[in-house]
Amino acid sequence: MTVPLPNPIDYAVPAFIGLIVIEMIWAKFRAPDKYEPRDTLTSLAFGLGSSVAGLLVGGMAITIAVSAYEFRIVSIPWTWWAWALCFILDDLAYYAFHRSAHRVRWFWASHVNHHSSQHYNLSTALRQSWTSFFALGFIFRMPLILIGFDPAMVLFVGAINLIYQFWIHTEAIGKLPRWFEYVMNTPSHHRVHHATNPRYLDRNYAGTFIVWDRMFGTFASETSDEPIRYGIVKQLGTFNLLWSVFHEWIGMAQDIWAAPWQFKLGYLLRPPGWCHDSSRETSDQIRARWKQTWEKRA
Amino acid sequence: MISAAIISAAIISGEVIKFAASLLAILTLAGLARWLRLGGDVRLRDVDHARTVAREAICDFEAVAVVLDRACIGALLRDADGRQMLIRRHGVQFVGRLLSPGIEARLDQNFLTLGAGERFFGTVTLNLGDQAQIWASGLRHLRA
Repeated sequence: MTVPLPNPIDYAVPAFIGLIVIEMIWAKFRAPDKYEPRDTLTSLAFGLGSSVAGLLVGGMAITIAVSAYEFRIVSIPWTWWAWALCFILDDLAYYAFHRSAHRVRWFWASHVNHHSSQHYNLSTALRQSWTSFFALGFIFRMPLILIGFDPAMVLFVGAINLIYQFWIHTEAIGKLPRWFEYVMNTPSHHRVHHATNPRYLDRNYAGTFIVWDRMFGTFASETSDEPIRYGIVKQLGTFNLLWSVFHEWIGMAQDIWAAPWQFKLGYLLRPPGWCHDSSRETSDQIRARWKQTWEKRA
Repeated sequence: MISAAIISAAIISGEVIKFAASLLAILTLAGLARWLRLGGDVRLRDVDHARTVAREAICDFEAVAVVLDRACIGALLRDADGRQMLIRRHGVQFVGRLLSPGIEARLDQNFLTLGAGERFFGTVTLNLGDQAQIWASGLRHLRA
């Protein structure tokens, strides 16, 4: 039996807005030319569109979750340890989702929205996908429901996880105490995740706990050697909202259409940048080429 | 039946209010960013800056020839392999594209107008002075 819970994001939105204002004032005095109002407007429009998309298809996601709950292995009670365990496992599921979102082009086509800004500030956090339900991102949370966590609990802790990730999208906070940086995802770790510098590509997939990256070998620490550049490998070069939302879906469809039959599936399931004629590069290939160039220069 | 309809109407009107409030908040934040005069008029500082931007776009792109727009809003660069890159500003950042053979370019005295063959990337007109003809000619010899 699922119990209706409030959506914590509704309560967090005023705080989001207040923090964005504070960060803008900080930027005004620190580096006004690093902030781009048109980019901020695009990011916020992404956020609004994502909320609308959530309203339109959220009911379907809940129906699927509740249906899956009928097939649960056990019924996990609503106790404190269940909440704690659910939050931790949900964060692990988020890590799996997020890693897939960067390594499988189908999922990337939706997730790229969040990375398509060349700026990194709190408004970037709200740059959320409009197509995450269509991309089937919710399947990564299904194991929790099949184990026996109530869908309402899973959705609630997922929302808390999303709220946690808001404040780490900023350059206003440097490195935090070592113990915190070791366990938790922080602005420093997440700046690395949004970087396009070859050394940082496809690193730090964590939602709340950075320990998953440390465990699974995808962690990279922010270094002061090289300034971070944000965005995607092939920067969009436009603030057009609809193109920003759908460009990767269109690109993927065009690639699949043009590819010989034996390669079509590759454009769907292989990493972004993969192509059958070596005319483009994946992040692994970019990193390997960067290493080669770097060694040559040294 | 009637109460279900009332509940649905209340939910829908609640969501409409939330949407309207979010839209208002977005427009307020965007207005605030402008009012605070965030952003700026970025320009390429010099040839070395253009080289750095190109290297950031493609990590092994080492320019051997560079021409800056007179107003420093963009640049064309060529590396030892004959690849050519267009750099132009995008907001307060720069974006770069490797140019492929057959790109559309238009020369008008000192002004070279070109894009990267992408609709939303658009075109840029660079004032390259007496270098415009040389670079326009170079674009015709791009390798696939």
